[in-house]
Amino acid sequence: MSVLAQYVPQAFINMYLPAIYAGLIVGFIATMAIAMKREEIHILILTDLVGLAMIFVVSAVGTDLAEALILPGLVVELAETLAISEILITREMRIIEQNPRRNLSKSSSLFPQPFALNMEILNTAPNFIALLLIGYGIFLTGFTGGAVAGGGIVLYALSKKARGLPVLMLDGIAGVSGISWCLWIIGFLLFFVAPQYWLLSLFLAACGLLLKVASKVGLIGLLMREDIDKE
Amino acid sequence: MSMDFVTLGGNVLGTIPLGDIVLYVSPFNLFLFAVLLGFTLLIALSKPETQIEATMHKLGNTEVTVGPKELKQRRFLSIICGIASAGAMITGDLFNFTLFMALVGILNIGIVSAVKQTTVLNSAFNYGLIAMMCSLPLFGGAAIILASTGTLSLMVLSQMPANPMVVFGAVLMLIGILGESGVAPFFASKAEMFRTAGSPYIVIIHLSSLFIIVRAVEIMLLVLW
Repeated sequence: MSVLAQYVPQAFINMYLPAIYAGLIVGFIATMAIAMKREEIHILILTDLVGLAMIFVVSAVGTDLAEALILPGLVVELAETLAISEILITREMRIIEQNPRRNLSKSSSLFPQPFALNMEILNTAPNFIALLLIGYGIFLTGFTGGAVAGGGIVLYALSKKARGLPVLMLDGIAGVSGISWCLWIIGFLLFFVAPQYWLLSLFLAACGLLLKVASKVGLIGLLMREDIDKE
Repeated sequence: MSMDFVTLGGNVLGTIPLGDIVLYVSPFNLFLFAVLLGFTLLIALSKPETQIEATMHKLGNTEVTVGPKELKQRRFLSIICGIASAGAMITGDLFNFTLFMALVGILNIGIVSAVKQTTVLNSAFNYGLIAMMCSLPLFGGAAIILASTGTLSLMVLSQMPANPMVVFGAVLMLIGILGESGVAPFFASKAEMFRTAGSPYIVIIHLSSLFIIVRAVEIMLLVLW
């Protein structure tokens, strides 16, 4: 810790060891819970808890480099959760294909079937949370903001798809992605050509990056839904 | 005593400074990098083999067929997996190594994600769970090494004497690498993942983890000694 002492405030350094212990203890409790649970969908959710403990340990460092570790860590967690849940769904579908008459509830905890619930909160809450995430992402700007806003778009698309409603945002999102590239490049160029307008170019680049990352994350979520529909 | 690049990988042929990240090129890294790229090229060019399975309770054989669309997706993912493993071989940065490792883990799941055999999907699911749980020691270990030394560059780390926190971080990282690549204590689920058609693409799952373990040993020696 001696090296970081000159860059990191004392308050962060005091929190370092408790944060690491907390992260490791959370990870230990989560793995114990996984060992005790037998239902696969619960195991998947509990595994995500271990991922959160990873964020604990990494963010305990509290420097810029640590943030560079946190963002990919978050993305990796998200991608792995999505990939594994897709595998779980594919497997359940294959099992049903092979033996359609089998009673599902005996062997699996997962029902790849649409729910027929009609509740007010199911319609409004996802939209509200998505709006909140997108708003907060725009407020943050830059890479982090893009990831947050993209998460909001994915949530919106997923909740719409889950209810069987059509999502027609794909073309628009691709266009936004292109425009954001231009913003980013213009910002970068301006930064070198006219350094006195650094604030303008910084905002151009930050907004471009925000749109870029948000649309990228949104696209990934939408494309994965499209794939499932084809099956 | 500090273990340097000359002892482990032969004379350093040169460094590639990319701002904060300095790549070093030694014959050891270069060899691993070139072999993986060559294998990736072979995968990109080769035609997949088909699999013949013996039929239960009968004398005939059944052919396991894979659709062209699925094979295309599998080939794409295995090429990316090969490039990611090659990146892990040449990188001079602990942080990049963890990222490449995590990427290889996801791609391994992706390659077998669309197969029809439920046993393969089952083992892919179990392997994915282990890989996700092991991201805690992988990234956590790298973060602890960063916190106790202030750097993630292997060139700088190899010159530093190891303190107890670095040893702890390195041990955590090793556990993470073992789980993410699915070797030694965690191989039980991964072994089943190979038992499907489309051979040259499937082999990259095995090859990438073998190479990454070799590189991980080098990195551990550099950090610890």
